[in-house]
Amino acid sequence: MLLATPRVAVGAAIAIAAIVLLIVLSGNNSNSDTTTKGVTTIAIKNGKPVGGIAQLTYNRGEEVRFKVDSDVSDEVHMHGYDIMKDVKAGGSVSFDFPATIEGVFEAELEGRKEQILELTVNP
Amino acid sequence: MSFFLPLAHALVARKDLPVPAWLFAWGASIVLIVSFFALSVGWRTPRFERDRWRPLGAGLSRALLSPPAQVAYGLVGVFLLCLAIYAGLRGTEAPDRNFALTFLYVTTWLGFPLFSVFLGDVFRPFNPWRAAGRVVGGAFTALAGQRPAHLRYPERLGRWPAAAGLIAVVWLEIVYGASGGVAVGLDPHAAAVAALVYSAYTLAMMALFGVEQWCRTGEVFSVYFGMFGRLGCFGVKDGKLGVRRPLSATTTWATVPGSAAVVVASIATTSFDGAQEGAFKGALEGTFNHLVDAGVGLTSALRLTDTVFILLCFAGVGLVYLIGVRGMAGVPGAPSFEKLRAGFAHTLIPIAFAYLVAHYFSLFVFQEQAQFTYLLSDPLGTGTTDLFGTTSSGIDFQLLSANAIWYVQVGALVVGHVIGLTLAHDRATAYWGDYREAARSQYWMLAVMVAFTCFGLYLLSVANA
Repeated sequence: MLLATPRVAVGAAIAIAAIVLLIVLSGNNSNSDTTTKGVTTIAIKNGKPVGGIAQLTYNRGEEVRFKVDSDVSDEVHMHGYDIMKDVKAGGSVSFDFPATIEGVFEAELEGRKEQILELTVNP
Repeated sequence: MSFFLPLAHALVARKDLPVPAWLFAWGASIVLIVSFFALSVGWRTPRFERDRWRPLGAGLSRALLSPPAQVAYGLVGVFLLCLAIYAGLRGTEAPDRNFALTFLYVTTWLGFPLFSVFLGDVFRPFNPWRAAGRVVGGAFTALAGQRPAHLRYPERLGRWPAAAGLIAVVWLEIVYGASGGVAVGLDPHAAAVAALVYSAYTLAMMALFGVEQWCRTGEVFSVYFGMFGRLGCFGVKDGKLGVRRPLSATTTWATVPGSAAVVVASIATTSFDGAQEGAFKGALEGTFNHLVDAGVGLTSALRLTDTVFILLCFAGVGLVYLIGVRGMAGVPGAPSFEKLRAGFAHTLIPIAFAYLVAHYFSLFVFQEQAQFTYLLSDPLGTGTTDLFGTTSSGIDFQLLSANAIWYVQVGALVVGHVIGLTLAHDRATAYWGDYREAARSQYWMLAVMVAFTCFGLYLLSVANA
């Protein structure tokens, strides 16, 4: 049995220490994810999202609610959920659907291939 | 100036959630515990060096390997390749609605490794270029009355052309396909043109060096899928189909020079793809912005950045392996560095497969729903055909829960790690006469494998694209 040799015993001790460390470290930041509440508005200026790609996070089963105010006419495509809605220049369009599919999805202005939203649905 | 890098894949409508921290901790813990356990219970004589191949029933073997059957497999392969090229050239430019991209990059590129791992080298009979090459060779022999003469393949070149080709195939999809500032991936037209160019190149090489020689060392898909096929339990020997001990055929795989480069390229390209939106995101954006500030165009800057990082991944993965080999070479009774370098390359095949499963499992499951519904009914994606009445079907993204995907991902890495360790330990008992020295040499391979597996887990826990 090789485990009897001191080198392996030391190695095993280090490994166990590493495991404990990992578990402790992971315990600290596991409660940090927060979900989005209320209706978020994504403003589109010159065909691009103001302030970069919007980030929304929900848990499965919650209602996803967001509004797109756009200064260009295009179609908003919520990938994965496959919801498409047209928006006119200067108009706005609202999305309200249950978060049924887990994963990370993007919404984009379909005609411009411009991503405006990253939607995260946790289990 | 600062830009967000676009999503590289053309087909991804849904990305996996990062593996949660608790599962990462569990996965890493299991890997470490299993590794130390493996050191203490190792067997002392090699078990996989002989394949214990035995033939299946002669009738089955004859039916599956008869010339008409082989012609049929070849025709299926050629037909599907032509269909993909045709769809790519004539069909819609929307990557997700065109048969070409899903068929080439998901069904074939990810599907054959999956089936090969369990069955053996199933690509070989369907290989369209091999089929075409054999027909041309046969016709030449019939007309000229002698077999075609070929150049001698440079022995030292080995499988390096296949390793380079493997990187090129992935590069085409995730580097060339991504263009600056806009979230589109490789378009089907470009994929079809690439397939045509590759076909011409492959047939030319087959004419120069012979069909079987090129399939063994140079043809990317034969070498790559064949590598995973070595894990599977079915194999053909002397024209007969037989069953062998699973994993055993891997032990003779790396006897061709450059084989280690193929498996390293596989791990490296998958790592890059997994890391580009997570672990490497900051570094990639930094390099990209430097290049843009220096006056390089957006598309060129993006391609240059990604190309450099893919090559860095290849160098990095290769270096970790070589450090392990160097370490083993220092153990008393060790064979030469060169022999060790080739001799342990096959132990990375399970790791390479685990990386594939971890990164592409969900994409494969979801995209195959498209492949067998609307892409099959309307290959061109133009809405003009509905061959099987399935054009209106979509992908059911609820088929897999995030938890199911996480368990498969982490499970694949752990199982791949265990099989890699098993093969490495087995090879060490064959190379070192003294059991204790064999075990000592395996500290090094153990470190290599823990590094790859934990890096794989880390990539999953950061983000996975």
